Amino acid sequence: MWQIFKSFCIKCTMPACILLLWHLGTAWHWWDTYIVPSPVKVWNSLKELASSGLLLHHVGTSVLRVAAGFSIAAALALPCGILLGLCHRAHAFFYSLLEFFRNVPPLALLPMLILWFGIGETSKLCIVVLATFFPIFLNTLDGISRPDTSLLETGQVFGFSQFAVFWHIRLPMAIPCIFTGLRIGLGYSWRSLIGAEMIAASAGLGYMILDGEEMARPDIIVAGILTIGLLGVFADFLLTAIKRRSTLLQGGNQP
Amino acid sequence: MTLALEHISMHYTLQDGTRITALKDISLELPNASFNMLVGKSGCGKTTLLRILAGLEKPDVGHISHTGPSIRNGIMFQTPRLLPWLTVWDNICLWKYGHGGSQKLARHYLQVFGLEHFRDAYPHQLSGGMAQRAALARTLSYEPTFLLLDEPFAALDYFTRQQLQDELMQQFADHPLTIFFITHDVAEAARLGQRIIIMENGRINGLLTNPSPYPRPVLNDRFALEKQIISLLQNK
Repeated sequence: MWQIFKSFCIKCTMPACILLLWHLGTAWHWWDTYIVPSPVKVWNSLKELASSGLLLHHVGTSVLRVAAGFSIAAALALPCGILLGLCHRAHAFFYSLLEFFRNVPPLALLPMLILWFGIGETSKLCIVVLATFFPIFLNTLDGISRPDTSLLETGQVFGFSQFAVFWHIRLPMAIPCIFTGLRIGLGYSWRSLIGAEMIAASAGLGYMILDGEEMARPDIIVAGILTIGLLGVFADFLLTAIKRRSTLLQGGNQP
Repeated sequence: MTLALEHISMHYTLQDGTRITALKDISLELPNASFNMLVGKSGCGKTTLLRILAGLEKPDVGHISHTGPSIRNGIMFQTPRLLPWLTVWDNICLWKYGHGGSQKLARHYLQVFGLEHFRDAYPHQLSGGMAQRAALARTLSYEPTFLLLDEPFAALDYFTRQQLQDELMQQFADHPLTIFFITHDVAEAARLGQRIIIMENGRINGLLTNPSPYPRPVLNDRFALEKQIISLLQNK
């Protein structure tokens, strides 16, 4: 218990220092409060947004979009990474196409996506899926295609079938890489969604930030940024909790 | 079960096209329930021969034949090769995903090798000797009829090596099976083997026998045999 408390204190020290510096900077007029509003003002805005239900509405919209986009991306990237990791010929066949799309920023596709799918949910979902797909896909591909061959041989020695070697050795061995891909992918989901919402949306945290800019309310902008950051930390916390419970990420098999 | 290797040759081609001969026309017989030691310097082709015997590689020339019932190979490598995400117990019972093996035997070897207290530990929590013991327990509980060991105790300290050698000899005395044990340690070959095969530059250079009964104490009169092995290794 003491160890958990100590770890929590260490993790909170830096944010607390920044908060203090931020408060002192605004209190002693080191900068214009229009450029950087005071933490108290941001807190009040957050309370105001929360009590009006607007914050929940925007957060809910963004979280649902991220959840949907991340799930679709993971559902596509994991089997693709596994299949292409197992079949080198298929990897070679798709290599140029995948490299091309990997290097195109998803937001650059947004005008075309709006043209094809309109300004509704589909275009934003496509952006999240495109941004999230590659980190998960590439990490899965890396984990599956570069196994420890001596461990694969161990399975062979005990008469494992091809499927048993894959299921009991190759896949568990790739889990740390896959998990890293999921963590990075989740971060990319948030980044791309906020970008998409700032260009074409009527709800969501990106829209809230853009609305704050248009209303000349930097406190709302900062409140939006803080909410995004906190949601990202919470999502990562959830993934880490899953990692702790996963038996395949035990012992020396850690990301 | 008697295994016979007939005119086995094997080459490797390096990236620059250089052809390396690993094994040159090897013919050898491994009788049923015999403890065979293959001794030779590093790089003389011992591991290649073991991998061919284990069916992990195919020779360029020659073939392996056997008489008697089908063979179940149990192989232990230089490193323990335990799966890092499985506990010691799950590693010992790894064969359950393949075919064969016995949980009763796994429990027996867990106790014999003094690993009961580490049953739920992960491989990274074990010392080198314990990890090798777990690997040996896994291989033996697979119930092999042909046990192939590739310098399994090479990285261990003197005392742990002695202990594992004793345990292996005891197992062989209790349940005789065909053992093919690779080593570069002349003393180990002289102590453990009934048949000591000397290998040099991919060829079999000689075969010595040691009829002493098992289990053999550490300080028996084996120095004459060691001298013979060394002189064969030095081509004298």
